[in-house]
Amino acid sequence: MSSDLDGVGLAVISNRFESVVRAMINTLFRTSRSGVLATARDLSCAVITRDCEFLAAAESLPIHVMGGDLAARALQELHPELRRGDAFLNNSPYHGNTHPADHSILVPVIDEEGTHHFTVFTKAHVADCGASRPTTYSSTARDVYDEGTLIFPHTKIQKDYRDCEDIIRMCRMRIRVPDDWYGDYLAQIGAARIGERLLLEMGDEYGWETLHAYARSWFDYSERRMVEALRELPSGRVTAETAHDPFPGIPNGIPLSVTVDVRPDDGLVEVDLRDNGDCMPCGFNMTEAYAKGAALIAVFNSLSQPVPPNAGSFRRIRVLLRENCVAGIPRHPACCSSGMSPTDRVINAIARAIAELGEGVGMAEAGVNMSPAFGVLSGNDPRSGGTPFINQLILPAVTGGAGMPRGDGWLLNAAPVVSGAVLRDSVEMDELRHPIRIEDQRIICDSEGAGRFRGAPGATVEYGPIGCSIDVMYTSDGTLTPAQGVRGGKPGARATQHKRLASGDLVDASPERARLEPGETIISVSCGGGGYGPPTERDPERVRHDVVEGWISRERAESVYGVVVTASGEVDGAATARLRGQTPFED
Amino acid sequence: MAVGPSGRQVRFAVDTGGTFTDLVVEDAEGRFHLYKATTTPDDPAQGVLDVFEIAARDLGTDRRNLLGRGELFIHGTTRATNAILTGMTARTAFLTTRGHPDILLFREGGRTDIFDWSRPYPDPYVPRSLTFEVPERIGADGAIVRPLDEAAAAEIAQKLSERDVEAVAICLLWSTVNPKHERDLAALLDRLLPGVPYTLSHALNPTIREYRRASATAIDASLKPVLTSYLRGLGQRLEEAGLNPQSRLLLVTSSGGLVDADDMAEKPILSIGSGPAMSPVAGREYARAEAAAETTVVTDAGGTSYDVSVVRRGRIPLTRETWLGDPFFGHMTGFPSIDVRSIGAGGGSLARVDSGGLLHVGPQSAGAEPGPACYGRGGTQPTVTDAALVLGYIDPGYFLGGAMRLDLDAAGRALQEHVAGPLSLGLDEAAAAVLRLVTEKMARAIEEITVNQGIDPRMAVLVCGGGAAGLNAVAIARRLGCVQVIIPEPAAALSAAGALMSDLCGEFSLTCLTTTADFDFDAANGSLSELVESCQGFEGGPGADAVETSVELSVEARYVGQTWEISVPLRVTRFGSPPDVEQLRQDFHAAHTELFAVDDPGSEIELVTWHARVSCRLREVSLPHFAPAANRTRESNGSRSAYFAGQGIVDTTVVQAERLAVGETLAGPAIIESPVTTVVLEPGASAKRTVGGSLSILPGSEG
Repeated sequence: MSSDLDGVGLAVISNRFESVVRAMINTLFRTSRSGVLATARDLSCAVITRDCEFLAAAESLPIHVMGGDLAARALQELHPELRRGDAFLNNSPYHGNTHPADHSILVPVIDEEGTHHFTVFTKAHVADCGASRPTTYSSTARDVYDEGTLIFPHTKIQKDYRDCEDIIRMCRMRIRVPDDWYGDYLAQIGAARIGERLLLEMGDEYGWETLHAYARSWFDYSERRMVEALRELPSGRVTAETAHDPFPGIPNGIPLSVTVDVRPDDGLVEVDLRDNGDCMPCGFNMTEAYAKGAALIAVFNSLSQPVPPNAGSFRRIRVLLRENCVAGIPRHPACCSSGMSPTDRVINAIARAIAELGEGVGMAEAGVNMSPAFGVLSGNDPRSGGTPFINQLILPAVTGGAGMPRGDGWLLNAAPVVSGAVLRDSVEMDELRHPIRIEDQRIICDSEGAGRFRGAPGATVEYGPIGCSIDVMYTSDGTLTPAQGVRGGKPGARATQHKRLASGDLVDASPERARLEPGETIISVSCGGGGYGPPTERDPERVRHDVVEGWISRERAESVYGVVVTASGEVDGAATARLRGQTPFED
Repeated sequence: MAVGPSGRQVRFAVDTGGTFTDLVVEDAEGRFHLYKATTTPDDPAQGVLDVFEIAARDLGTDRRNLLGRGELFIHGTTRATNAILTGMTARTAFLTTRGHPDILLFREGGRTDIFDWSRPYPDPYVPRSLTFEVPERIGADGAIVRPLDEAAAAEIAQKLSERDVEAVAICLLWSTVNPKHERDLAALLDRLLPGVPYTLSHALNPTIREYRRASATAIDASLKPVLTSYLRGLGQRLEEAGLNPQSRLLLVTSSGGLVDADDMAEKPILSIGSGPAMSPVAGREYARAEAAAETTVVTDAGGTSYDVSVVRRGRIPLTRETWLGDPFFGHMTGFPSIDVRSIGAGGGSLARVDSGGLLHVGPQSAGAEPGPACYGRGGTQPTVTDAALVLGYIDPGYFLGGAMRLDLDAAGRALQEHVAGPLSLGLDEAAAAVLRLVTEKMARAIEEITVNQGIDPRMAVLVCGGGAAGLNAVAIARRLGCVQVIIPEPAAALSAAGALMSDLCGEFSLTCLTTTADFDFDAANGSLSELVESCQGFEGGPGADAVETSVELSVEARYVGQTWEISVPLRVTRFGSPPDVEQLRQDFHAAHTELFAVDDPGSEIELVTWHARVSCRLREVSLPHFAPAANRTRESNGSRSAYFAGQGIVDTTVVQAERLAVGETLAGPAIIESPVTTVVLEPGASAKRTVGGSLSILPGSEG
């Protein structure tokens, strides 16, 4: 095989690396057991260079992998000598991981001479991680001790390709569904070993030095692409403020601030997250991987041409973080269990800041949606003699994509950290797996952030237990501060959660957890996404479509969009022109 | 007449594709004849009649006489797929359980190309404005939680009539466990909306996961009027043109089987994606006969797409995750169909260099219009075909047997401007780079499906079909490490040939949940005997004319707690004792290891859906022989200059495929050409013509 690394060789080898990652993802997705993995696909795989640079991660969740270099670096610091057959379990928020429920398995790819060339990496959101509360989001935990999760800072879990049984037994003693966890672990190990095998074959075929030279060229190419993409952005420096809602234990919520400095001439973006408070006594501290990932995701979302996301293009995004900061680098023993909630807010604020720089760039804010529709359920299943169960639901009815410069919000966005990448549960699968019934699930009329391009509407879901009681834990945000619109776009509707008692009465539910007794249900309403641009500039044909399809009411079409739609579903052009000629419009 | 002694019957297979309508005639002597005509999208039946006209002329008869001798007419059509793509399906309503109107809108989530926000969220297959919530609810255990509100249902029927609905899709939650409410609704529609076709989800696609079932149901219902009228019209036109009224009309299904036309009209979703479904059938037969191989990768290279399927140990794997359009952006059919990986790479794929200096080939295609630059129809962007022409692989004067003259200079100009210039490469190097990249993409498509199916491509025989198959078959085989390539004689119309080699099939399935830990012998055996009975019914009915019948039983199973099932063939038709169950458990472990490289020997197995497939063979097993197309073949072999990477321009032998004697070995560099295809033998490769008429190629290595 030739070693030319021109545009042809690069294209060929990058295809190969993507193939390796896809093969890993296929095994992990198809063989894992927890619903959150095997149905919702809350998992990722990646290849990292020997220099700990992030190389390839086809079809992964960006928040899982974009800070993957941090974990690889921590691994090499803790284990300077890596051996073939090793595998390491990492879920430590202080060692490059996202949050502790994301179990990462790292396998060094080592040739027959014992030389380390790449590291393959799989990440899976486990159903339970042994925390003191039955959830993978311990939002109210004061610190890692209160959280109680088993933390593994790159703990060797395989040696010579065989399990270190001590570690497995520890997990089995603390994780609530040990068999599910072990099945998921096998899936992760299987995926990592497939990646290792495929890379070893590539090393044989191309020669290792060719592959390393490829990585360097690929990074350089990606950096060139990034420079070019950044040239299209308007220059400027903007600070945007936002806040996570108040929560039990943090009565004032979490104010957050981002400063974005776009320098197209230098081909550079700087994102500064240092002007934020210190770590807080709650689960909402971001990890370094979250903070870095948030900045990268928000910038990539704002590019109008595709740039390969890897260490090369990342050179052009400077992320400034501070130690012991709620949106920075957590210091042990800060709890980071629910760190993705402020991460969503930070991604939103950066996108909004970029939108303020000029027309046609950035995004509105997307719904922040850790609602009960994404709740962690636990209880004992009466259908199988009281077997304990725990799993995170990922129901379709969490929506809220952000309005964009050239299109409406993606309906099933879920949350900014996810960008629509996770799959959704089936009602039937959830009812088969758990003693629950899902009564209602639909989008909500008039809940979108109006705009020239509107945000996606919010959605509602109602479910409850059958023949037993269940605990639901979630992290509601967006009940106070909605997803903001930009450039004249309107905010989306806010989230709520209610409990329907057996009597039929509705009561407010806590923002954190609910115990549901037989006959009771929880009603989750997720946020709508913010709109981009003034709603009165929206194409009347799009407004008509939204009316006919029941996304918005005819009244809202008139009062907010200034478009008159007749009872038979046609745009009344003359009336619309008259209406749009008048001001002002209601908010 | 060339179709054999009069009074003996002939068989036809017609494959209507996007560009060409292929016809394979099996004459009374058992010889195959292959023809191609242009597809006529506005009136596909016309293209069918056209190709018969061409065949009749070649066979020295007239169309009426030829059609009159048909006993069997097998048809593969993209009619259903095209109806969906062009929005020509029926105005369809969707009826579902109250509380769940957005099943088709929500789908199963997911996006690809995560930072590319330019693609809008897809519309539901049936709009919300034609979606109706039916007051009723069945629970997960099949119990009726809320009875069907008949009065409300009657009101819905009234609305359907007011809204001029032409077809109705009914998918209620848990209808697979208790179909009562779906059946009640059907009875109500029979009464209130007679003549309006409907599809019931539990009857069509008894699978758990409501989106897939609902999507299949909606697609099926929406196709009923269009496919019924197409099949009726085609039957009439063919009969008017002389087709023997006694002849049997069979349709190709997406799972690689054949069904009677009336059954297809009842379940038109069977026809979605049936286009590439017959290639693996043909590929399997050729790999068996020519290479004694049971594990095969079958490729079909067209103008815009490259379809890859596999045969694993003699079986062609099915998937329920077939998409109309791109994954996550199109619609999932949710219906079992042959697992085909389709990528946008083919002779028409466009090559370009991006601003960062990276070469791209496809997925954009020059299509039939304007086509590659060398077609001289106004195309200025270089394509894979242009690159092959520049490299000397294709003879500009002998494309499609000389039917179209290619413009070599135009191809060179396009490549120079868009590839060679920006990359600072010589023209030949640039053309070779285009082929190398398209080869890599095709190899990657093969790698993905083989890895997903647990097949090591190095252990598989590569069977290449499609008009463009031979351009880089050797290069793909080298890249993947395949030891042998087979290019079957009917490579240019592999799917149509496969249709004539295929079986009449009946598929039956039942859901019966049990586990190996606590195996319910009575329930499982009851399901199996019901399935076997259905197969026997099929054997005595549609399959009565078969020369041989076989039944395959399998179960979709998973480790306790897993979500996705895998299919495991059963060794018994009845579970007699615990060792039979243990055997199934062991077979599951082996199948899991084969697919995913890992197993969990300590875990028990959940058994979910039980399947039976009855296959009725319609012809004796043997490879067909092709009649020579001597009148279109060139008189003699020759040579021309062709470029090979690492060697430069080489004087290359050009051999007419028909002139390569059985058993004769040809060493590369060489080009083997026929009116319908070109095979490039790179230096180091060698080819031999087999008794069965295929080219058997050993790819060798560059060095």
